[in-house]
Amino acid sequence: MKKVININFQGQVIAIEETAYEILRRYIESLQRYFSQEEGGDEIVNDIECRIAELFGNRLKHGINCITDEDVEAVISSIGRPTDFDSDYKEPAEPKASQTASQPRTEDASQEGTEERRSLYRNANDQILGGVCSGLAHYFKTDPVWMRIIFVLFFGVLFWVYIVLWIVLKPKKLDTNVTKRLYRNPNDRFLAGVCGGIAAYFRIDSWIPRILFLIPLLFNLIGIFSFFPLNHFFDNSHFSWNINSGMVLAYIVLWVIIPEAKTVKQKLEMMGEEEYIQSIREKVSDNMSGSRTRTESERPVYRATENMKEQTAGTTVVNGLTDQKTGEETLSEDEVPPRPPITQPPVAPKPRVSPVNDPRDFAASQQPQRSGCLNVLIIFLKIIFFTIVGFFALVLVGVFIGILFTGAQFMSLKALFIDPGYETNLLVIVLSLVVLVPVISIITWIIRRVMKARSRPAIGIVSFALWFAGLALAGLLAKNIADKYSMESSKESVVELTSITSEKLYLDMQPYSEDYAEFRMGYGFDAEIDELPYTTVNEDSLLFKTVNLHIRKSTDSLFHVRTIAASRGKDLRTAKADVAAFSYHIVQQDSLLLLPEFLKVPVGQGFRDQSITVEVAVPAGKTVEISDALSEYKNNEPPSVVRKRIRGYSRTKYPDETETANGEKATTVTYDAL
Amino acid sequence: MNIENTQSQMRKGVLEYCILSIIKRGEAYPGDIIDEMKSAGLQLLEGTLYPLLNRLKNAEVLTYQWVESTSGPPRKYFRLTEKGRKFYTLLEATWQELATGVATVTQQDQHPTS
Repeated sequence: MKKVININFQGQVIAIEETAYEILRRYIESLQRYFSQEEGGDEIVNDIECRIAELFGNRLKHGINCITDEDVEAVISSIGRPTDFDSDYKEPAEPKASQTASQPRTEDASQEGTEERRSLYRNANDQILGGVCSGLAHYFKTDPVWMRIIFVLFFGVLFWVYIVLWIVLKPKKLDTNVTKRLYRNPNDRFLAGVCGGIAAYFRIDSWIPRILFLIPLLFNLIGIFSFFPLNHFFDNSHFSWNINSGMVLAYIVLWVIIPEAKTVKQKLEMMGEEEYIQSIREKVSDNMSGSRTRTESERPVYRATENMKEQTAGTTVVNGLTDQKTGEETLSEDEVPPRPPITQPPVAPKPRVSPVNDPRDFAASQQPQRSGCLNVLIIFLKIIFFTIVGFFALVLVGVFIGILFTGAQFMSLKALFIDPGYETNLLVIVLSLVVLVPVISIITWIIRRVMKARSRPAIGIVSFALWFAGLALAGLLAKNIADKYSMESSKESVVELTSITSEKLYLDMQPYSEDYAEFRMGYGFDAEIDELPYTTVNEDSLLFKTVNLHIRKSTDSLFHVRTIAASRGKDLRTAKADVAAFSYHIVQQDSLLLLPEFLKVPVGQGFRDQSITVEVAVPAGKTVEISDALSEYKNNEPPSVVRKRIRGYSRTKYPDETETANGEKATTVTYDAL
Repeated sequence: MNIENTQSQMRKGVLEYCILSIIKRGEAYPGDIIDEMKSAGLQLLEGTLYPLLNRLKNAEVLTYQWVESTSGPPRKYFRLTEKGRKFYTLLEATWQELATGVATVTQQDQHPTS
């Protein structure tokens, strides 16, 4: 006499003898363990379950009332036991498919480590964002979690490193090469299993990390209750919410960066080898003695795998889809309602428990596959990341377009500093390398990301190389430009005056009689630079306002006027030639001296800090009256090369402006006789 | 020398070729493949077939779709992808080479004088 139970197996209701069920359950567990180390192991087990369900269905259709031990054995021998698989077909490249978890795997890990020792990849198997951290961890043979913690702690510095590595490194599916890793423990969890995982990692009880996380909160609670006698003490010791929120933040960060142990293999890595083997032994002995007590399941080690947990729960459970017909009580052999057509394969459901005759246990066993919080956080982080990248790309494109549009304006300015020919070509190359290359490569990268193309590190490397080459050329150009200002030259010439009889010399400005245009930097904003010259309408000359007026005491009884022209150049010869080409004609009309508004130089000279200094020597007892129009010039300071030429140079001190007879403002300077 | 080991080594190589050629003829679900292999006298365990199909699927040689079944859960029907077709022709060429080569070599062995 045997007891028959109904189970929901892959959506099929199947009547099965209890002993046969036990054999089946153990068999599926062995499959799970075997395939846990293979990619898509859950899916394979699920496929096999489907097949078993189908075979059972066929048997039940042939008039048999229930599945017996023999039926199960027949099915198992048709599908094969894990021990039979190895010899038939085993991918030689996958040493991970070791049969049982108790086999030493350290060998495999070290072998693999030497193979891929010198190559750095992004790990496509284990990623929060781009798999950079776990790739690095694989390279250094450490736990990815430590790498992630480092990157989170030094976010400011390493953010760019991360971005660069993300762009440069190739993704590759890497197996872990550490035997022990920090995971979130789904079997020992309060919130997300972070503390449980830490406890499993350090082989301590899980309440210890929990208390550590909660201590700040406890102190805060103590502080909140004002009637608490110690409140005053805690107030003084500055316990604040900051510590608490820090712990909460730390917990959330750990939640995000520590993966959950899902497969048997991961749980094995979480606990370390020995504990796992220990727990297997306990499980086996437990099976033999048949003692299924809840107290056993309270031991942390024992709760390591879900399989074991289910088993110790002491209920009739079998792996199968959970979403089908859980409440079915009757045995329906040939009336399985058709499922809605499935076009997309369901995300290989982790084999989960659903006994038909115990709905309570079904509810208890249903745990979320992946915490929603983590998903939301990951999506949130990705959104932030892509927003930042998109923003940068947009800014770069904007700058580029801006340069294209304002280019014409800049080009006119360019003539002041950059010679046509070699330097102009250099400028074009520099601009395209420094601005265009990042714009194009970032856009390419975004497009490739969106299109999910395989990453090509060559693109990133070449882009960076080109960009740095651009920077180097920019340095060369800058040095070239700076060289043009290395030498200074000046030339002195005396302005011959016809004898001035009056006591007063009048200085006024001769305005420039034609139109002239300003050099401006771009549109829209008032970007006038003081030193920049104007240009004549036919653009053959540059007009400088760098006219410096200097008044000093004459050594004799006559007025003297001289001009000192000064310019810079890449060598003395060029500077001298430039100075000789200056045009500045002072006109005398009796006692009135007219200074031209602008210093005029040929446009080919460009901007070389050209200036002209007008020195007026006033004899003792006589006066010079400077028109208001020259007020801008009288305060200009001559360049150093000119100051050296003026013996005992000191800046002219002008008295305040006064009203002249015809109502205009003017400054008068009189040197008293000694 | 373990005879079983050598035998399984020999079987191993042609397994993928056989499975792909069954699938190439038309969509097939694993049950069909097993039956056909067995009727051809080629021993194949389902526990071997499923992981193999999974690997081929991961390598994008195969793709599948779910089809409703009257006698159980929905079935995965596999078919070759474009990549799979190329993969298959390569295997086919290799097999032809191998078969003729092996035949020539072994026949010579049987009749060394001829």
